[in-house]
Amino acid sequence: MLFVTLGIYRFWLVTDVRRFLWSNTEIAGETLEYTGTALELLLGFLVAISLLIPVYGGIFLAALDLGILGKLSGIIAFAALGLLGQYAIYRARRYRLTRTIYRGLRFHQQGSAWGYAFRAMLWWVITALTFGLAYPFQVASLERYKMRNTFYGDLGGSFEGSGFALLLRGIPMWFLVFAPLVFAVRGFVAVDWKALVDALAQGGDDVMSRIEGGNPGLGAAIVFAMLMAGASVTLAALLYPAFQAVMLRWWSSGLRFGDVEVRSSLHMRHVYAAYARFVGYAILFSIVMGFVGAFLFGVVGVAANLGKVDSAGEIAATLALLVGYVVTALGFSTIYRATVLLSLWQLGMESLQLSGLAALEKVKARGRPASPLGEGLADALNVGSY
Amino acid sequence: MNSGAGTYFDGVTSARRDVVVELTTGGLQVSDRDGHLWAQWPYEEIEGLTAPDNMLRLGRRGSATLERLEIRDPAFAAEIDARSAHVDRTGALQRSQRMRVIGWSIGATASLLLVAWFGVPAIATRLTPLLPVTFESVLGDAVNAQVRGMLDIRKAGAAFDCGIAAAEIPGRIALDKLVRRLEAVAALPLHLRTNVVRRSEANALALPGGQVYVFQGLIAKADNADEVAGVIAHEIGHVAHRDGTKAVLEGGGLSFLFGMLLGDFVGGGAVVLAAKTVLQSTYTREAESAADAYGTELMNKAGGDARALASMLEKTGGATEPGMKILMDHPDTKARVVAINKSAAAVSPSPFLEAGEWAALKKICAGS
Ligand SMILES: [Zn+2]
Repeated sequence: MLFVTLGIYRFWLVTDVRRFLWSNTEIAGETLEYTGTALELLLGFLVAISLLIPVYGGIFLAALDLGILGKLSGIIAFAALGLLGQYAIYRARRYRLTRTIYRGLRFHQQGSAWGYAFRAMLWWVITALTFGLAYPFQVASLERYKMRNTFYGDLGGSFEGSGFALLLRGIPMWFLVFAPLVFAVRGFVAVDWKALVDALAQGGDDVMSRIEGGNPGLGAAIVFAMLMAGASVTLAALLYPAFQAVMLRWWSSGLRFGDVEVRSSLHMRHVYAAYARFVGYAILFSIVMGFVGAFLFGVVGVAANLGKVDSAGEIAATLALLVGYVVTALGFSTIYRATVLLSLWQLGMESLQLSGLAALEKVKARGRPASPLGEGLADALNVGSY
Repeated sequence: MNSGAGTYFDGVTSARRDVVVELTTGGLQVSDRDGHLWAQWPYEEIEGLTAPDNMLRLGRRGSATLERLEIRDPAFAAEIDARSAHVDRTGALQRSQRMRVIGWSIGATASLLLVAWFGVPAIATRLTPLLPVTFESVLGDAVNAQVRGMLDIRKAGAAFDCGIAAAEIPGRIALDKLVRRLEAVAALPLHLRTNVVRRSEANALALPGGQVYVFQGLIAKADNADEVAGVIAHEIGHVAHRDGTKAVLEGGGLSFLFGMLLGDFVGGGAVVLAAKTVLQSTYTREAESAADAYGTELMNKAGGDARALASMLEKTGGATEPGMKILMDHPDTKARVVAINKSAAAVSPSPFLEAGEWAALKKICAGS
């Protein structure tokens, strides 16, 4: 959202944020250094666009096809862009790692980005088919692939987090979110499906009344299902900070570089505090924006009553709406960054305990800087992170 | 102060070395307590790198390795800063660069908006005549499928198209006769398909590839066959000028421009978007007057009453296509009516349909 509204400047902003985060990340008394530049990102983005134009054109032409290709074009586009997105994520990670310097040596990443992309797509399919139950194993497997291809100089990384351990931590949350949905589906089982299908097949204007006649419980079942879906969404939103805390603690505790081991003691209540601050500031910001909007609306209303609204006034109103949208979007994303993202990063860093640091003393330089194409692709496909 | 303490990394190993840094006339010298010389950097090759606030991190420009020197004493760091041109501790250099970047960003955004406003329509106008008719038919078929889905909002009952049921066949025959007379004069490069559909608005719609939809509401509002013919002639004008294709190209160009450049990618929805563009009828004022002029001319050539188009415009408040919400007293509509009446031929027109045929056309949506 922020990227969409900021245009060209986003490359400089993202570089600034990374420089700040990297140089405030301290490991064994030394800080990281980010050497990427905004111009590199801009260049990577331009190259990515020129590569995406044929893809975009192909999808457009496929969508024009009236046959089987046109019918499937939506799915094909979804799969192709999904695969490309995963490819971009892996390449972007390679770019960021090779721009990360610690003690005068750079990190680097090996492994095939396409290999990662196919693996990731396969896992997403499995996760979707198991209603998210495979997600812990997906993250563990993909993280193992990433970390065993990650190096600090000649010191290889690995990932020791177990998908099963994450599943055990996450399954209570999974039940809380999915249980209302199960209840909703159970409500529908009682419905007389044959009568319903018959009523639909007959068609006509009174189809609704006939459905209701054949199924006295259907209306109640629909209301119940909507209530349950609402409960599920609410629970998911309330549990999201807990989910993030569990993920972050599990993930950082699984990181290894040679003999260097990481342990995290992140507290869930700190993560909730960060989200509470976000909600508080967001409400405050909404109230302010509401007042400003109401005031402007009043001005326009008065002008309209005086009969002064012409085409120039319409353009001005459209522009004001546009500016309002940009300001609102920027405001919320800034609040989110300042409260949630920054806090999570800080909490994550502070809660780390490292052991086996002696392994960091005798590392030798390896690796070359990688191209920023992955970052550009990730940006153009909207799968980028900071 | 000509020497101070620092931390040195040679860029080959991760070993951390506590060193003494000496400032000589040409550059700085880095050596450890045992007197081993680790580095000699001329001042002009030293650059300041990103670091936390309490530290000055230095590197050597153009060095093959990532050797680093870290100074934590602020006074000594200031001494080095004073001697090296590429160390920018106060951030003044960066701020002025940043202002330039912001300026360029605003410029780029402005030029993007200009391209969207003027460039995309201009390109679409020039590109459209170059597209082969076969492409337009393919595009039209794809858009047609979407448009039908969007227009057809009935829940049940008779078919969306009129003129199918037995009682509607005479109406269909009358419509075909009317369209054939116009099409014979128009000499389009593609085949025209005209359908009356069950929609209550008094509108008509032309798609790329020659598909014209006349809404049931228009037939109901028309007082004679020439009024229907006038609106269809106007729509044939859009087909002949390929306005639908132009609108699709514009919509696609805009979504591509904004989607791609601003980092949000709209892929498979392209056709849906294109169909929406046609439906919401972003035809410009020029396109409408051009279609009016074409329609008037076509009615004249076909020996019909071109004034009928004007009288129909007055009835619908100027809204020939759905989505056009121009009020009756809008100067545009009045100007259009005047322009049509001015160029309408003075010769006595022959009606498009006999009284019986017109009555049949009126019942084209009567049902089975
Ligand atoms: Zn028109």
